[in-house]
Amino acid sequence: MLQKTSSGLDFLEQLAATGEGDSPLGCMQCGLCSASCPLGHAMEYPPRRLLLRAAAGQLDRLLKSPTLWMCVGCYLCSFRCPRGIELTDGLWPALRDRAMQAGIQPPTELQETFQNLLKYGNVLGKSPRQRLQWADGLDVPVLDLSKQPQPVEVLWIVGDYPSYYPRNQPVARAFARILTALGVRWGVLGTKECALGECDRMFGEEGLFEMLVEKNRQLLQGLQFKMIVVLDPHEFRAIEHYYPRYGMRYPVEHYVTFLANRLPELTARMVRSVEATVTYHDNCCVGRRYQCFDPPRALLGAIPGLKLVEMERNREDSLCCGGGGGGMWLDAHIVAHGGYRLSDERIKMAARTGAQILAVSCPFELSRFEDAAKVTGLEGKVQVRDIVELLAEAMDLVEKESV
Amino acid sequence: MRNPETPLRIGVYVCHCGTNIAGFLDVEELAAFARTLPGVVLARDYKYMCSDPGQELIKQDIQEYRLNRIVVAACSPNLHEPTFRNAAEAAGMNRFLVQMANIREQVSWVATDRQEGMIKARAHIAAAVRRVALHEPLERQYVRITPRVLVVGGGIAGIQAALNIADAGREVILVERQPSIGGHMAMFDKTFPTLDCAACILTPKMTAIKTHPNIKLLTYSDVVSVDGSVGRYTVRIRRRPRYIDEQACVGCMQCIEGCVFTRPKFPNEFDQGLGYRKPVYIPFAQAVPPVPVIDPKVCLYLSRGKCTQTCVKACGERNAIRFDQTETYEEYEVGAIIVATGFRAFDPTPIRYYGYSTYPNVYTALEIERLINAGGPTAGQLVLPDGRTPKRVGIIHCVGSRDKKYHPYCSRVCCMYALKLAHLVKEHTGAEVYNFYIDIRAPGKAFEEFYQRVENEGVRFIRGKVADIRPVSQAGVSAHSPSSGNGDGNTPPDPSATAQAVQLSPSAPAYQAQPAKKESATPIEPLLVRVEDTLLGEVREIPLDMVILAIALEPQPDADEVRRLFGISCSTEGFFLEKHPKLAPVQTANDGVFLAGACQGPKDIPDTVAQASAAAAAALALIDAGQIELEPNIAWIDETMCSGCRTCILLCPYKAIHTDLERNVAVVDPALCKGCGTCVAACPSGAAKQYLFSYEQIDQELEGILNYV
Repeated sequence: MLQKTSSGLDFLEQLAATGEGDSPLGCMQCGLCSASCPLGHAMEYPPRRLLLRAAAGQLDRLLKSPTLWMCVGCYLCSFRCPRGIELTDGLWPALRDRAMQAGIQPPTELQETFQNLLKYGNVLGKSPRQRLQWADGLDVPVLDLSKQPQPVEVLWIVGDYPSYYPRNQPVARAFARILTALGVRWGVLGTKECALGECDRMFGEEGLFEMLVEKNRQLLQGLQFKMIVVLDPHEFRAIEHYYPRYGMRYPVEHYVTFLANRLPELTARMVRSVEATVTYHDNCCVGRRYQCFDPPRALLGAIPGLKLVEMERNREDSLCCGGGGGGMWLDAHIVAHGGYRLSDERIKMAARTGAQILAVSCPFELSRFEDAAKVTGLEGKVQVRDIVELLAEAMDLVEKESV
Repeated sequence: MRNPETPLRIGVYVCHCGTNIAGFLDVEELAAFARTLPGVVLARDYKYMCSDPGQELIKQDIQEYRLNRIVVAACSPNLHEPTFRNAAEAAGMNRFLVQMANIREQVSWVATDRQEGMIKARAHIAAAVRRVALHEPLERQYVRITPRVLVVGGGIAGIQAALNIADAGREVILVERQPSIGGHMAMFDKTFPTLDCAACILTPKMTAIKTHPNIKLLTYSDVVSVDGSVGRYTVRIRRRPRYIDEQACVGCMQCIEGCVFTRPKFPNEFDQGLGYRKPVYIPFAQAVPPVPVIDPKVCLYLSRGKCTQTCVKACGERNAIRFDQTETYEEYEVGAIIVATGFRAFDPTPIRYYGYSTYPNVYTALEIERLINAGGPTAGQLVLPDGRTPKRVGIIHCVGSRDKKYHPYCSRVCCMYALKLAHLVKEHTGAEVYNFYIDIRAPGKAFEEFYQRVENEGVRFIRGKVADIRPVSQAGVSAHSPSSGNGDGNTPPDPSATAQAVQLSPSAPAYQAQPAKKESATPIEPLLVRVEDTLLGEVREIPLDMVILAIALEPQPDADEVRRLFGISCSTEGFFLEKHPKLAPVQTANDGVFLAGACQGPKDIPDTVAQASAAAAAALALIDAGQIELEPNIAWIDETMCSGCRTCILLCPYKAIHTDLERNVAVVDPALCKGCGTCVAACPSGAAKQYLFSYEQIDQELEGILNYV
């Protein structure tokens, strides 16, 4: 039957006008995006055809497709696109936004996350009062700027997972100790801290994202700091790329670059060796998007005794953990529609290098890879550690309370 | 200065240029405006001023109305200034009393608002009228042309241009950086679409270069400086030491045979490093000149000072080996220069997902040319590094081309050479051959027919840009691909294929490299290529034994230095820029410097040869004119004001000014001056002046512009 079509050019023109990447009208249909996409083969509409259908004006078909909720924001398609088209941060969120406006609901797990953000200001649905739980028993002072506003060098936005999630809390504590050891004057937002919302924008929840932006605008107003430091690469992306659109411009660093810029001071304090073969997983958000490939390796390389090896896919070709762009809450949907958990494949790659430790630099990755290790039978063979944990170990800043 | 006795009688002509100008500007109103300007006795508008009747109008008016200045408001003076100067001259007026106002490129083509366009057009006309009032009659100056041409680059472009010029009876200096001429074409096996053997059609031309009485061939040399200007360039050429006397050498190759290194040990550049050579070597069998060269970095005597010099013994009484050779410089005067410096093949290493320089069975197309060439490192056997013949071969198109990350342009030749290689690979190995393409571009003569022929030979075509290449053992994610091994010929490779080392020709001459660089004892693992078959609309994974990357053509790494040396420009991609993309394709912004071949942009051999002959014809037309008219806008020194401070001499980029020691004043050589105005601006006493650019003329032009905006 002939498909009744209307021109989709107006949709693509609107997309081009957002200024995200080069114009999607320049697509030459080479298919590099679809074949690069780690889930492209499982999608009803892999990226190339998604764009082609959109150009043909068949948005309705796309909005109903499970494909729409299968992108995990790994950015490989956009990074490689020979015509510079932003699929990840452009086309995909725009289509998801349309879908939700048309009343099409995203997968249930994700809806719960949105509810959590709306009600509690964090993805885990925890009480804001417990925001500082991570610092319980910490042996260095934590300056809560929401209670004692004063000028600081670093405003550290701790993030949802490091604040609340048991496996991530030691990372937050390790970072606090390192900051203090470096003599940095730092503070946190304490119980007032609120998620920055990158994943929500990626997910097309533009309204929710704007709400979070407004909350953070009020929080940050009047505070005096030289820079913001975050543990979560997605939050780095939010402040660096999206917040300026709402008139909020702050110098921001992901902790990896923040620490790499202070490498000599760190090295001078490294007193213990970490005898292990380590491989590093490049996260997508500061990795591919900002080509931050050398700083994490410089940090790991500086640790005495540590032997760094590379996975077959590394740096710009790194395979995503599958947690970005809302992917953290999409595993069931993706697997149900013919996909797989990217973290399972990734940990197998890590194991193939012979490494005992898989080093990561994103809060999502610790739990994703630890789960993957269990599922793939690699538990006990490959340990998952955050770079901060390894640095703290080398600097002898380990958990004293647990010793 | 104009004699104040003679009243100004200016004629202004406003051209419609069809609708180019009149479609946007009110030309009648512009003419009416011109009539109000001081000194204007007549203003007309006309459909095409550059047409014969248009020019006739000017001639008649000059005589009838005794006009003594002309302003034509039309297009850019680059196009028609000579036309109107000629018309004025034909009517008995000095040709330099004509001024153009550019209301097309500067106004009607670029303005978006008609009202503002009219304001700008009026300003241009007023400026021209006020300026031309101060123009003075000037005499035309000529300079003799040296009837000799420098050709830079000895690839097929330079060879063709040099032969054309030499056959026309003019002298050519042909400079080549490498030890031999031949360029990239000499590396190719066959040429598309006719499949002629590249060497068979190229080497006769190379030999002709060597024997031609009108050609002086300087290999292993480069141009280090260019002075002077069109018609009279002085070029300085550095000759690098070969350590072998070209005159004394007879090309017997005994020195190579006799070298203390019994086996070739160093990567042969000509074979893309796939084969080896000795410290004394000849790049390839048919090299011209057939004179070996010694690599001082690896020659034991030249690098360490210690060697038994068996090569010298082998050379014997010919005594051609000269370890004491040093760099020398030669200078030549030439009238024209043809730049034919070619291209560089793109290095695909940065495209990490293609695994070039990671996997030994991923090759560039240029490497494959050497492997299938009988003169290459495997004597024409297309084998994997482990010696096996590949059973499944993939050719990836557009590697480094049509990609904003590398080169946004289409390299024009890759589709066709990929088809040629597909044919040759099949012919040599009987392998199943895949082409991964985005669009097949086969617009040349007999190209489409060749494409069809290759299709009918059973070569497979998959429309899609390959996204990933990995050894099959690493292809974890592939297990999830529904389309691998789907019966479309995607059978897995035969793992039991045993290594069968290919016997290299035992009689390979000493200059022929023997083992392949990527030689490997262990079997090479097949690769899994991941691509979206965009016509099927599904992601496929295809196992291959060998992958060939159809790499882009890019500018030479030193293109920017070469560009400065010859005073020409580059396009954004870095290729040399022609004067006009359609009407002056071999000329450059620098008169007397012409372009030929891929240095101007990627092109195939037929186009390169055609362009080289065009450049030769243009160079011949220039030098055979015997003399050349100089631009009138050159600098001159008012000697009554010159203090002899020499500021101008130091600043002149063309070395056109010297000091007359007797009178202690600066003197401009009109043949060398390019009218850049540097001396005029720098002269502390205002003695340096420029024809057609006096302070008064520029002041009046500015007045004209500013009074009407």
